[in-house]
Amino acid sequence: MVLQVNYKSGQPVYLQVVDQIKAAAASGGVRTGEALPSIRPLAEELRVNRNTIAKAYAELESQGIIETIPGKGCFLKPNNSPLKKEVRRKLLIQEIDQTVVMAHHLQVPRDEFIELVCDRLDALEERKQANEIPKPS
Amino acid sequence: MNDASAIIEIKGLTYAYSRAEAVHDFSLTVRQGRCYGLFGRNGAGKTTTIKCLLNLLRPREGQVRVFGLDPSRHEVEVKRRLAYVPDHVAFYPWMSVRETLNYLASFRSHWNLDVERDLLNRFRLDAGQPTAALSKGQRTQVALIAAICPEPELLLLDEPTSGLDPIVRREFIETVIGAYQEGDPGNRTILVSTHLITEFEGLIDEFTIMDRGREVMSLGADQARERYQKIRARFIGEAPAVEFKGALQMSRKGRELELIANGEGPQILEQLRRLAPESLTTEALTLEEVFVAALK
Repeated sequence: MVLQVNYKSGQPVYLQVVDQIKAAAASGGVRTGEALPSIRPLAEELRVNRNTIAKAYAELESQGIIETIPGKGCFLKPNNSPLKKEVRRKLLIQEIDQTVVMAHHLQVPRDEFIELVCDRLDALEERKQANEIPKPS
Repeated sequence: MNDASAIIEIKGLTYAYSRAEAVHDFSLTVRQGRCYGLFGRNGAGKTTTIKCLLNLLRPREGQVRVFGLDPSRHEVEVKRRLAYVPDHVAFYPWMSVRETLNYLASFRSHWNLDVERDLLNRFRLDAGQPTAALSKGQRTQVALIAAICPEPELLLLDEPTSGLDPIVRREFIETVIGAYQEGDPGNRTILVSTHLITEFEGLIDEFTIMDRGREVMSLGADQARERYQKIRARFIGEAPAVEFKGALQMSRKGRELELIANGEGPQILEQLRRLAPESLTTEALTLEEVFVAALK
């Protein structure tokens, strides 16, 4: 998992870390039960304050994506949201609605939009497969 | 003076060297656990402000509190709990690095030898070398090691990287800050004054820009990068000569328009979209660009 901070994006640095770890988790860049880098080395690697990484990890923990085991570090939890299915759907719909509005303003028609969504899902699936441990045959 | 988590509180500080006023009605609050930047050009009043925190200078007016204490009345108590690295570091030239660290440790009630050993190794410093033989960068490294080994509650760094070559300074400032904060996460506070802002991008949580002794602005680093945007628009024909409310700076070159927005980015973008540009991009300003924009 390689993380990168971009100060020009305007997005708070801790949220960039949160998003990238979530993306890595979705694509298999980090696996369930795997340890995340500890705070100080990651802070030094990214050249950011340890407060920033601590805040990112606290946010990931509150979203139920990682768990902290005292004295051991932070680990990726199984992808098992405690939220009810309707709630999860609603959260996703909010995000999709925003994208749909954006597609309208960028003049991307319906068919093309759906095609793009399928492409992106495939791309994620591909990255996931590339990250998979080859099964012993 | 009532913020319990404030490690440094300055209110209405004024200081003058004979008639020349160096700091005027300056206020600053640094809360516990923060890495706080004091940004300003040479002569902005940064060092004077820090010296007032250390009772090296007595304020003409205003109030200064460190750990809730008045440094002029509780000088020993205040200095016992902090460490200060001035912009020019001087050691006794006849002492070795080892002797220098032992000498400095003798003034402290506590000294973390593990941190000392770790950082001497990481900086590849030869403890047997006389300090007179050290380069400027190595002298600063020794001073920073000496500052964090007592594990103070507050670290005051005055232009810690000025005069060092870029490779050296990029390397060690975060190593030192990381080692310092790691000892007691969330509780150790840093105030760093600098005009080399790019080096500290990412390390700084919050900052104050000062100019000619006055506060220009105080903001969180993330907030600053969210608020300050550079907007670029390119048009099919000549860029329209329109006024934009809330634009800090604007330059027009042929078909292109570049604006700096402070918080009014969305309104300016909306106004630009109605002018149907061929392309429209935004990016956040870096802290250094925010600094330059604020002082223009």
